[in-house]
Formats: sequence, structure tokens, C-alpha cells
Amino acid sequence: MVERESAADIEADAARWVVRVDRDGEAVRSELDAWLAGDRRRRGAYARAEAGWTRLDRAQALFVHAPAAPDRPRLSRRGVVAGLGAVAAGLTAMVIGPRLLAQRYGTALGEIRRVPMADGSVAAINTSSELKVDMQPRLRAVKLERGEAWFAVAKDAHRPFVVQSGPVRVRAVGTAFSVRKREGGSDVLVTEGVVEVWTEDGKTPPRRVFAGERVFADNGAGVLIPPEADADLARRLAWRDGQIVLDGQTLTEAAAEFNRYNDRKIEVADARLADERFVGWFRTNDPEGFAEAAAATFNGKVVLRDGAIVLRGQ
Amino acid sequence: MSDGRARIVAWLGREILPHEAAVRAWLRRSFAAAGDVDDILQETYCRLAALSTIDHIAEPRGYFFQAARSVALEQIRRARVVRIETVSEIEALDLALEDPSAERIVSGRRELERVRGLIAALPDRCRRIFELRKIEGVSQREIARRLGVSENVVENEAVRGLRAILAAMTEQDAPAGARGAGEKTDGRTRKRR
Repeated sequence: MVERESAADIEADAARWVVRVDRDGEAVRSELDAWLAGDRRRRGAYARAEAGWTRLDRAQALFVHAPAAPDRPRLSRRGVVAGLGAVAAGLTAMVIGPRLLAQRYGTALGEIRRVPMADGSVAAINTSSELKVDMQPRLRAVKLERGEAWFAVAKDAHRPFVVQSGPVRVRAVGTAFSVRKREGGSDVLVTEGVVEVWTEDGKTPPRRVFAGERVFADNGAGVLIPPEADADLARRLAWRDGQIVLDGQTLTEAAAEFNRYNDRKIEVADARLADERFVGWFRTNDPEGFAEAAAATFNGKVVLRDGAIVLRGQ
Repeated sequence: MSDGRARIVAWLGREILPHEAAVRAWLRRSFAAAGDVDDILQETYCRLAALSTIDHIAEPRGYFFQAARSVALEQIRRARVVRIETVSEIEALDLALEDPSAERIVSGRRELERVRGLIAALPDRCRRIFELRKIEGVSQREIARRLGVSENVVENEAVRGLRAILAAMTEQDAPAGARGAGEKTDGRTRKRR
């Protein structure tokens, strides 16, 4: 049932990672690590692509004296403004700069977006989410208004990175973590480094959460369920690649997961099926594929009704 | 990234990549299903990249063959369906190692010329990006600015070029979409499979 990634896909992704690391360096490190952790073949393909990329550095030896043809920068749309002259451009930057730093990002149902931020951090924003990013001189303030996002935070000891999710606060210096705003609280998953989690009312002191751990911060009680190691982090963050990975979840839980991403909601209309557990690897936008696979496995059938995908017994 | 890792990556590029074509051809002869070959090679690279030291490897080419063989044998064992002729083919490793065409591949100056040739053979914009990045040492961001394109375009072109060059280094046909101008530039969000 598990879809196996083809070697060709891995090869293509590996080349992309090498180019991204060349550009963004440490900022994408944790994201890269998460990808590499998914499959040994990815590690191999990445090493191979890296080897090829590095090999090209040897070309330098041959070109040392080659004259660099001066590039005349083509005018981009924004370049028209720059055309007003250096002074004007400087002024423009000063005026526009701070305004650009407070940004809003949203995703529609089923959409997953990757957003580079002004400070070098990167956010991956999951389905139906809304995020406000405000880069202040002493604070990088992110407000998760709804949904879920994962952050790879660029190191800046003087400017802590704080995510606000309802009354819950998550603070990081240089690390990677995700926050999901839920009814009554927020899930926090740490993929790298350490973060501090607390709630606004100050009932509990900030709790440190380490790489590989997941906590639920309860809005009302202001109490954090103690950190627990989560061997399942990569699975829980598979959405960043547009995937849902199931490893023994019940069909009800799985359906709820697919329903986060799609208008075509899955209903499990059979008590026996509801508790069956399933293993598999699907695309977030393929609820039909999941329903068909589940029906085939547990001897059920799929019925389409009023735009819903109903899973029932035979 | 630690120095050790950088050293191993450089070693892979220098001593291993040039032999990939030979290992691939040998694996292909030994396996009916060619699809498995890329899996085996990726797993093999994973093992080589995980080496803590390479100082003890006097014969990288032979080592590469051996590593690929042991990966292949493991996969056959795991699959449980063993065809006798497959195993005997795999055991015939010595034959492949003696392939006289191997020696022609690596040698300093010619290898450099080859790298230059690979870059020169890329489509125009792609080639320009590689020259700026790899020869003049300009950052991707700066390249985007100079060429008046988005960083995404630079990224996509670089990926395309790297794949074409890797394919050429290992003497395969270019992967689909890695050459030719028609590839979409929004590759990052493109869904796979």
C-alpha cells in the first residue's frame, strides 16, 4: 500500500536540495535533514549530487584568467523605480523597507506554501492557515491566526523568534519547529534545537522542549502536558511535502487528516471500519486514493454522495 | 557540515562518480529489471557517503563495485525470489573489474577539460548561471540580480544544469526534463510522482 518514491524523483529532488543549500546554507539545513531522514536512497542521491556540484569547482582552475563579461542588469519591473537614481532608490528602500517587513501569509484549503522571510528564516505553511509576520528590531513576532506552520529559524541571538498561537507562546533562537493551532490549545513539534513554550496568563513557567519532542499547550488550563519523545516527527511533518503518512492510525483519524486538505470530505460510515488501523503513504490531495485503498484492504466500498466520499461496509 | 563530510564528498566526485557508468552497466547486465539499478546505486552512494574514513581505500573503483554488489545481493535476499543466474552474474564481479575501458576515464587535465565541456554544453541561460556561480563565484542571489530574473529562476536553471551535468559525468541519457528549454520553472512546488 505504501507508494515507493522512484529513484528518478529522488535524483531530481536531490539536485534541487544541493542548489538550495548552496543558496540558503544553514537556513534550510533542518528541512534538508528531515528530507534526508525519509529514505536512505535520498541520502545517497544527495551525496552524489553534492559530489557532482563540488566537482564543478575544479572548473575554476581553468578559468582563472578568463575575463568576466560584464552583465548589464536587465530592468525588472521594480527596476524602473531604481532608475530614478541611487539617492532616490535609497530613499525608496528606507520608506518601503519597514512596511514590507510586516507581512501576512495565507493558504487556501489544500494549499501548502513555503515562504522565505526577511531575516533568512523559512516558514512552511500548511492548509487553511493564516500567519502574520512582524519583523521588529528586537523581536521577530509571528502570529499564527489559524492552522499550522513549520519554521526553520535563522539564528539571531538578539532578536528572538516568538510564535503566538492564541494564548500560547513559543520562543526560539535558532531552531526548527512547527505550531498547530487547535481547538483549546496548540501542538508544538520541535525538529531541531530547543524552544520555550508558555501561555500568556503566566500560570506556568516557560517549558523547554527539545528536538524530537512534541507538546500540547492547553489554552485554558495554562498547563503543558509534559514533553514526550516523539519517534513520529517526520511522519507528522510529511505535509510539508504534500503527503499524508499513516502508520497505524484508525480510519477515522486518517479521514480527519485528509479532510483538513480537501473539499471532498471523507466520511467513515461503518462502525467496524472506523476503528481499523491503516498504514500507507498518500498525497494530501488524493482522498479518493486513500478511500479506495482502505476499502480494498478492509473489504468495504466507496460511495460518492453529495460531494462527499463515503466509506462503508460491503 | 563537518570537514570530514566535505572531504568524502570531494572524494566521491573525484574517485567514484567517474566510474558510475561502468558500475551501472555491470549492474544492468546482472539484473533483468533495470529499474532496480538506480535504487541500488543510490543506496550504494548512501553507504559510501557514510564512511567515516576513506584513507584505507586504495582502489576506489574496486571498492565502488564491491559496495554495489553487496547492496544488490542484499536486495536479492530480501526479495527472496532468487534466480540462480542472477546470483552467478553478480558473483562474476572480477570480470567487470577487469574491464580495460575503465582506466581511460580519470586523469587530471582531461577531466578538467571535460568539466569545462560539460558546462559549455548547457543551454545559454543555464550555462551563464553556472559560469557565474562556479567560475566567478557569484552567489545565486547576486546572479538573480545581475540577470534580472527571480531567485526561483536561478534555482530552477541550476537544478536543471546540475542534473544534466551529473548525467553527462556518469554517461547516461539526461533525465527527462533536465535538458531542453521547455521545462516549467515552478519546479519547487511541482508535485512529484
